[in-house]
Amino acid sequence: MAACFMLGRVSSNLTYALPRVLHTNVFSPARLLARTCFKRDLSLTPRFSSALKYTDKHEWVRVENGVGTVGISNFAQEALGDVVYCGLPDVGTKLSQSDEFGALESVKAASELYSPLTGEVTEVNHALSDNPGLVNKSCYKDGWLIKMTVSVPEELDALMDEAAYERYIKSIEE
Amino acid sequence: MILRTLSRMSVTTRDLSRLARHESTLKSCFDESGGEGLILKSSSTDIFQNLALEDWIHDRVDLQSRSVLFLWRNAPAVVIGRHQNPWQECNLELLRRTGIPVARRRSGGGTVYHDLGNINMTFFTSKKKYDRMRNLGVVTGALKALSPNLDVCATERFDIILNGCYKISGTAARLGRKTAYHHCTLLCSADRSILSSVLKSSCTGIKSNATPSVPSPVTNLSDHDPSLNPSSLMDAIASCYNKEFDLDCPVLTVDPGSEVMMPGIHKMTSDLKNWDWVYGKTPKFSVCTSFMVDNTNVGLEIEIKNGVVESCIMDVHHDWLPADFVKEFCSSLIGIRFCPNEFAVAVAAFIRTTSSSPQHTQNTLRLYENIVSVM
Repeated sequence: MAACFMLGRVSSNLTYALPRVLHTNVFSPARLLARTCFKRDLSLTPRFSSALKYTDKHEWVRVENGVGTVGISNFAQEALGDVVYCGLPDVGTKLSQSDEFGALESVKAASELYSPLTGEVTEVNHALSDNPGLVNKSCYKDGWLIKMTVSVPEELDALMDEAAYERYIKSIEE
Repeated sequence: MILRTLSRMSVTTRDLSRLARHESTLKSCFDESGGEGLILKSSSTDIFQNLALEDWIHDRVDLQSRSVLFLWRNAPAVVIGRHQNPWQECNLELLRRTGIPVARRRSGGGTVYHDLGNINMTFFTSKKKYDRMRNLGVVTGALKALSPNLDVCATERFDIILNGCYKISGTAARLGRKTAYHHCTLLCSADRSILSSVLKSSCTGIKSNATPSVPSPVTNLSDHDPSLNPSSLMDAIASCYNKEFDLDCPVLTVDPGSEVMMPGIHKMTSDLKNWDWVYGKTPKFSVCTSFMVDNTNVGLEIEIKNGVVESCIMDVHHDWLPADFVKEFCSSLIGIRFCPNEFAVAVAAFIRTTSSSPQHTQNTLRLYENIVSVM
């Protein structure tokens, strides 16, 4: 009886899911194209900044079109070891610069995360809930943590660029 | 044996409140002591107060040039890791019945049972000096000093095991802005039958990404050396800590219930007791289960986010309860905290406001009883 119930649920889920899958498949090439054009278009205009900026807590942020993508640096992911859980905030959470916004868990340690900028969380990386190891495997790309608005653009200028961050890592390793 | 133990007690115990001047706080004691280290021992056995003292030291004490060891024990309590699911980790129904509290730490790691036969120690340092293996070396050093024949060692998972297989200590840690702490347990003479019964989940069918505990066979130190007791172990750990970190600190007794000594600690204690922290912080999960009521099979699927019901589907034979009625009942549960008290209130309100036959009311109550049994 229990099995019947489960099967019933699964099949009903599938019938709901199927049209959705088809839908995205049909439209995804067009969407992809649109996105590429859109990007190319924007690159003609002077960009806000797309270089990575770093905090002394080892978070990075990349601001594109007014939205900051936040992750942790390679130095940080190496220091953490295998990440087994990403505790991230809800979309809509308002953060001030250096506010704690969550924690990454690795080898029984919870390492707190601090916001590099002031702004509002607009997206969280849902891929991390099933695959937290992405933070280790691809800390600058697929393992991003959150996206946020940039309320105080000046804050970005005070963060370290790549060269400064490298010098900073050297100084703390000594 | 006793003589040897006594001679090793190079540490002295002082009452911090007597040491501290009238209006001074623990922070000013830290500042005045000026030294590189401090050893504190809690006078409380309340899990929430002791965890709050950890928070207080972590947040308020300058640990850049100083290390702190905090020794504490608790009355029976279950402590889950920061990213864990209490419904998955412990028998909540048994805990409610026995009055044993559940607390959520701010550190990672798995679920542990505490009672007065278990010692907890917290090693506070700057983030830079955070070194769990060195700390565990203090604990194994203390054990070997008291009982040289014990075969104890720290593993790569930062457990301490006895005779190569029995866990006697588990570790967890929290890394903040500039400071870090590593805390660990040490089983001396804990009640192992309660330990194993409370750490068995009563809730079946949970699907969750929360970090699961890794169950391990455990043992009590006193079963292997009856002369070991929590008090002598704490003293030995304190002297090993002094030796390892080249300190000469007395053990100061501190009362984590004292707002005068530690301004803000009452708020920290109540934050840790708050339902929204203990249960609400649970990573989103679902419960998919079924049960029999009056020879009718009932399928149940509930999704819970922040401890609150986000969606609820029940599969009930329409002869037993009409589909529309079940649907209405399910939607009345949305937004309700996943706990028996709130469910009771919600179900009572549903019955009061929905016109139904006595039989339907009775069946709804039977459903409620079965749903609550998985909480």
